[in-house]
Amino acid sequence: MDNLIGLWQDSGLYLMAPGQLVMIVVGLLLLYLAINKNFEPLLLVPIGFGGILANIPGADLALSATEAAISSANPEVLSALAQAMGLEVWETAKDIKYAFEHLNAAEHGVIANLVADMGFNNGMLYNFYSVAIASGVAPLVIFMGVGAMTDFGPLLANPKTLFLGAAAQFGIFATVLGAVGMSYLGWMDFSVADAAAIGIIGGADGPTAIYVSSLLAPELLGAIAVAAYSYMALVPLIQPPIMRALTTAEERKIVMTQLRTVSRREKITFPVVVLILVALFLPSAAPLLGMFCFGNLMKECGVVDRLSDTAQHALINITTIFLGLSVGSKLAADKFLDPKTMGILALGIVAFGIGTAMGVLMAKLMNKFSKQQLNPLIGSAGVSAVPMAARVSNKLGLEANPHNFLLMHAMGPNVAGVIGSAVAAGVMISMVQGMGG
Amino acid sequence: MQEEILQQGVDLMLFGMGTVFVFLTVLVIATTIMSGVVSRLFPDAVKPLPAAAAPPPKAGVDPKLQAIIKAAIEKHRSRHK
Repeated sequence: MDNLIGLWQDSGLYLMAPGQLVMIVVGLLLLYLAINKNFEPLLLVPIGFGGILANIPGADLALSATEAAISSANPEVLSALAQAMGLEVWETAKDIKYAFEHLNAAEHGVIANLVADMGFNNGMLYNFYSVAIASGVAPLVIFMGVGAMTDFGPLLANPKTLFLGAAAQFGIFATVLGAVGMSYLGWMDFSVADAAAIGIIGGADGPTAIYVSSLLAPELLGAIAVAAYSYMALVPLIQPPIMRALTTAEERKIVMTQLRTVSRREKITFPVVVLILVALFLPSAAPLLGMFCFGNLMKECGVVDRLSDTAQHALINITTIFLGLSVGSKLAADKFLDPKTMGILALGIVAFGIGTAMGVLMAKLMNKFSKQQLNPLIGSAGVSAVPMAARVSNKLGLEANPHNFLLMHAMGPNVAGVIGSAVAAGVMISMVQGMGG
Repeated sequence: MQEEILQQGVDLMLFGMGTVFVFLTVLVIATTIMSGVVSRLFPDAVKPLPAAAAPPPKAGVDPKLQAIIKAAIEKHRSRHK
């Protein structure tokens, strides 16, 4: 009979906390959206599945060895931990967890050795997270692959479209201000670092968002990544109303001149030029833009096709799997089920909206000063979200004039947006770390 | 504290947006110069290719065939108004 009770007490049904149940449902919802609605399936399938794994009660897949020891609720383990921390009075595991979070680095080491002696190990997803995201490796490798898939031809043919990519980054900074304003009004408790990480959702670039939040606000990473990827999938729904509201039918009909052909040598030189400028002016953006330029140079130089092929396909796919599962590990109930998540989701969509609007308005402004007319619809592609945003511009252009193909014109601001959000990410990381918050 | 976080947010926005614009402006200038230099000093080596590829189709169209096609098109057009 005792055995039976023991088995029952080890079962998922017995150990399930309400929060975990909710998160498993959230994971299933993400899987449904990915599989049935085709929402960024490459990421939401691993993220959703990882989220379910992270919330399996008793398995502790997303916990470090110490967290697992604390959550084991075994009185002997807990008292050993309390003793090691020099805690004299404690009542529940929560007290011990709180005390553990306020230890210094050396004491953390002691505790880690102790729990290792007691036979606790880091959970599988926790290990994936440390290797792939906490180290910064996975987002950067993905950025390299994105670089190897990017064609800068349309941008080189019309470099002015870089301004559209710059304007659309206003969404990021407006959102930072929004998040800070929420803290000011006392609705939420976001620090400046949190606000910066939330704002980067407006960059509409998954790897950049994950990279920034892993550095500035790791505890919000799950919500930020889910918001970024879900809204990227929703770009075809979010952008068109804003684009229509800000342009007249005449403006949408503007036909742009054919882009000139760009020579191979220009394409090879461009990533090197970007790299030199980053080195000279913006070393804080070097990790992201460095990997991006490296990937692009491999593609364009034409002598390392094997490497470029790997970066574009095998490597980026492998990395995506681990990135997704690691993000899923941050969907643990105690971190995700928080009012902050709602705030992040709300701010994220505002970020997308403002970025889109600013890109369109910038294109209209540039038309006032230039003879060569731009169709303002391509401005919205400045939010990055390659190539979805460019396709949206193309679709709206075709609605206004069935012979007006904007796709290639929109690819210019689209890739400019990727550079712009990487620059914004670099600035924010260095500024926030300088603020000490 | 509250005032400070708002101030930090505003700073972040002004400096961040400023940097993005300045950097991308520099990039526009650098790219334009680079394109000019590359296309002037290292003109595209690909140019001979289209020149070599262009003549054959011209030679391939036989004057007789061309006359027949023209006649056919005219006939088609006259039939369809």
